[in-house]
Amino acid sequence: MNKINDFSIVTNNPIVKEKYSQVIFVDGGFEDVLIKTRDLVHSGHELINHPLGASIRMFFSPYRSIIVSSKSTELVDNEHVSIMESSIISYRKQMENRMPDIVNSQDYAIIDSELLDSSVEEMKRFYN
Amino acid sequence: MYKILYYVNQFFGQIGGEDKAGIEPEFHQKSIGPAMGFGVQVKGQAEVIGTLICGDNYFNENREAALEYIMNVIKEQKPDMVVAGPAFNAGRYGMACAGVTVAVQEQLGLPVLTGMYEENPGVDACKTKVYVVKTGNSAAAMKDALPVMGKLALKLLKGEEIGKPAEEGYLPQGRRLTVIADERGSKRAVDMLVARLYDKPFETELPMPVFDRVTPAAAIKDLSKATIALVTTGGIVPHGNPDRIQSASAQKWGKYDVSKIDELKGDYYTIHGGYDPVYANEKPDRVAPLDLLKEYEKEGVIGKVFEYFYTTTGTGTAVGNSIKFGTEIGKELKEAGVDGVILTST
Amino acid sequence: MKLEQNRIYIKDIQFGDVTAVNNGILTVNKEEMINFLKEDPKVKDVKLDIARPGEKTRIIPVKDVIEPRVKISGGKGFSGVTQTTTQLGDGIVNILYGAAIVTVGDIVGFQEGVVDMWGEGAKYTPFSKTFNLVVDIEPAEGLEPHMHETTVRMAGLKAAEFVGEAGRDAKIDETLTYDIGNIDEETKKYPNLPKVLYVEMLISQGLLHDGYIYGVNSQLILPTLLHPNEEIDGAVISGNCVAACDKITTYQHQNNSAILDLYAEHGKTINFIGVIITPELTTLQGKFRSCDYTAKLCKTLGANGVIVSEEGYGNPDSDLLMICKRLETAGIKTVLITDECSGWDGASQPLADTTPEAVAVVSGGNVSHVVTMGPADKVIGNDKAIATLSGGWEGCLEADGSLKCELNAVIGATSEIGFHYCTAREY
Repeated sequence: MNKINDFSIVTNNPIVKEKYSQVIFVDGGFEDVLIKTRDLVHSGHELINHPLGASIRMFFSPYRSIIVSSKSTELVDNEHVSIMESSIISYRKQMENRMPDIVNSQDYAIIDSELLDSSVEEMKRFYN
Repeated sequence: MYKILYYVNQFFGQIGGEDKAGIEPEFHQKSIGPAMGFGVQVKGQAEVIGTLICGDNYFNENREAALEYIMNVIKEQKPDMVVAGPAFNAGRYGMACAGVTVAVQEQLGLPVLTGMYEENPGVDACKTKVYVVKTGNSAAAMKDALPVMGKLALKLLKGEEIGKPAEEGYLPQGRRLTVIADERGSKRAVDMLVARLYDKPFETELPMPVFDRVTPAAAIKDLSKATIALVTTGGIVPHGNPDRIQSASAQKWGKYDVSKIDELKGDYYTIHGGYDPVYANEKPDRVAPLDLLKEYEKEGVIGKVFEYFYTTTGTGTAVGNSIKFGTEIGKELKEAGVDGVILTST
Repeated sequence: MKLEQNRIYIKDIQFGDVTAVNNGILTVNKEEMINFLKEDPKVKDVKLDIARPGEKTRIIPVKDVIEPRVKISGGKGFSGVTQTTTQLGDGIVNILYGAAIVTVGDIVGFQEGVVDMWGEGAKYTPFSKTFNLVVDIEPAEGLEPHMHETTVRMAGLKAAEFVGEAGRDAKIDETLTYDIGNIDEETKKYPNLPKVLYVEMLISQGLLHDGYIYGVNSQLILPTLLHPNEEIDGAVISGNCVAACDKITTYQHQNNSAILDLYAEHGKTINFIGVIITPELTTLQGKFRSCDYTAKLCKTLGANGVIVSEEGYGNPDSDLLMICKRLETAGIKTVLITDECSGWDGASQPLADTTPEAVAVVSGGNVSHVVTMGPADKVIGNDKAIATLSGGWEGCLEADGSLKCELNAVIGATSEIGFHYCTAREY
């Protein structure tokens, strides 16, 4: 990624869809967002932030937003592919006996959006 | 007094050696071979009410029939527990002990116990589900194994808490249980660090998994001149399964001449026990794409499809056996001048 | 730096006319304390309650736990947060030892964080053994989430200072001295002892996922060096509300067990030269930078051994193992403290990430371990949070009213600074 605006957000979060213009909207769950991002990373998009949250609780979130570069290159980053694949395995393992916490959907959407804003701010400190 | 039913192979059942490995299962209402020694260990609290004997080859090649007989005997005899082996390092015996104990536990819910040398392929087939007492690699270790098995069997019968693998003498089952330690985590960390700094022994609480990494071979420079072989662990075999490759926990692999056919469809089917066979049986090329390779050969994309197709079943197959199969198949392919391999799994 | 911690043993908490300690009994003037906290116009209402060890009381959802203290000399309370900035780590502090301020209040509906004062649940949280003054904060209406979180966080810290004042003139039961000089002095004193650093990772990812050092949000820092005394004197506080089992509460910073256990070996088997706080960021670039910088600090300071503690599970596993890899590659012996997620049956791969360099790891237990907790006589906080705690899977509420939950929901259960006793063993 060269410039700060060269990013896209893979998300299933309606708040994020409203708030940002460069959104790849996924009509599905957390896992579908992971899979869509994995496919993009496999086809040469750079993975900007880590696909998983920082606690088990956030695994139960119905919503997730992940930042990738908007342009793809010929070079697929194996490290990024491996992060995506292992994150999908972790996600499935974690959700084996649990379901997304639908009751609190609205709060998860807000927190996911807030955490995304923080990631975007953090990203701006690298790409400018 | 608890009642225990014992399982042994033809050798420990005192019927005969390799020449008797094909015998069908039979039941005797008495203690035979290790069942006698085991009985001594549990004396006063439990007794062996009978011994099941089955040929190792028979069990592994006629698993369903063997298990049906064995389960029926167990249902009739109504033991409180089934003990099998110890199988030491005998692979087929180990697989049979694994097959019997897992089936009894899963289908009848009875406590079970077996014993094996840690490299026995039977270990991988059952250790996460049943207790496998760690033994030496030959029958010379019988006298050490039986007391450990006896003690653990009594604990299992009584429903007592089972301690750590090293304390009880069984092989780790790969289950990580949460317990309360004597020291808090930070103290354990400081102790571990001090041990490391002073080159003293220490034991990690979370061993990292060990992955068997293979360095990829160099890329094929000119695919149009390359000979490509097709290999699968998807259990695709000619109709009738002429080499009787097992549908799970494979003990062998097979190779078949595919030089005269354009696809596997028609002559082949799957014996794999680990997936729904409908779509593979409709067109086995979906598992091992001989059809496409042959097309590529015609179009000149690849030089040649190697004349033999190699196959085995991946599901439940012990890592040790997989390494052995891979090494054997690889050696043949290399000697035949094959340049590349398409290896498919399911 | 030299810090004297005077412990005043607290054997009970009661409400009374004055806020004071007499014969080990802490009395709190409820009205005064509530009025003090309501001086912040963003606080609409405050409820106070007491939970004692052994009582059939459940506290939920816990936001933070804070130890009540008062600084007698050498700086002020939570420097840069509730107080103007002063240097912490020197001087004298009086501690109401055995008491804790527990803040509850749901900033978001999915917060968990349970403390059971009795029975099976009590075994898994260190805060079942403290006398807890529970502060339930209701903020003014219409506060946006960031302000809501800040309001509750600040109210908790102020509550701890308010109660801590009661220790100013109380009878001291025990004095502990924490004294480590500069690296040069200590190395002259102990020339043959290996130099050891402690790397403390903090979740630094945004709302409900933050930590603060002298009031600075750790998202904004490069890894930074602290004297061990600064942290145990209140320089680091928690703004993290979602990782109940493995978040580091403010109480656990004030009493960071990794620091205290390293202190105990200082001058005996090791030369403890400092604490590095490392932010766990969200971007991959950020993670690489933090990890490189952390390893560089350890190398520059000449560490022979390092303990690294994690906070959280998921993306922080990457940072933990990257730091480990860099340190081990540089020849620095490293011990990691983490927790694991190996599924209900304990049969899954425990970490989200792995590296062969992680040869020495302490586990705080399996966050998915299921515990059954009996019905409580009294619930402090929000009943509805129990539904969240037990929601999401079948069969979690038993007929007798006891509930099954994963350790994940229990405050401090699988502490990754090694504050508690849980571990996972292979069977």
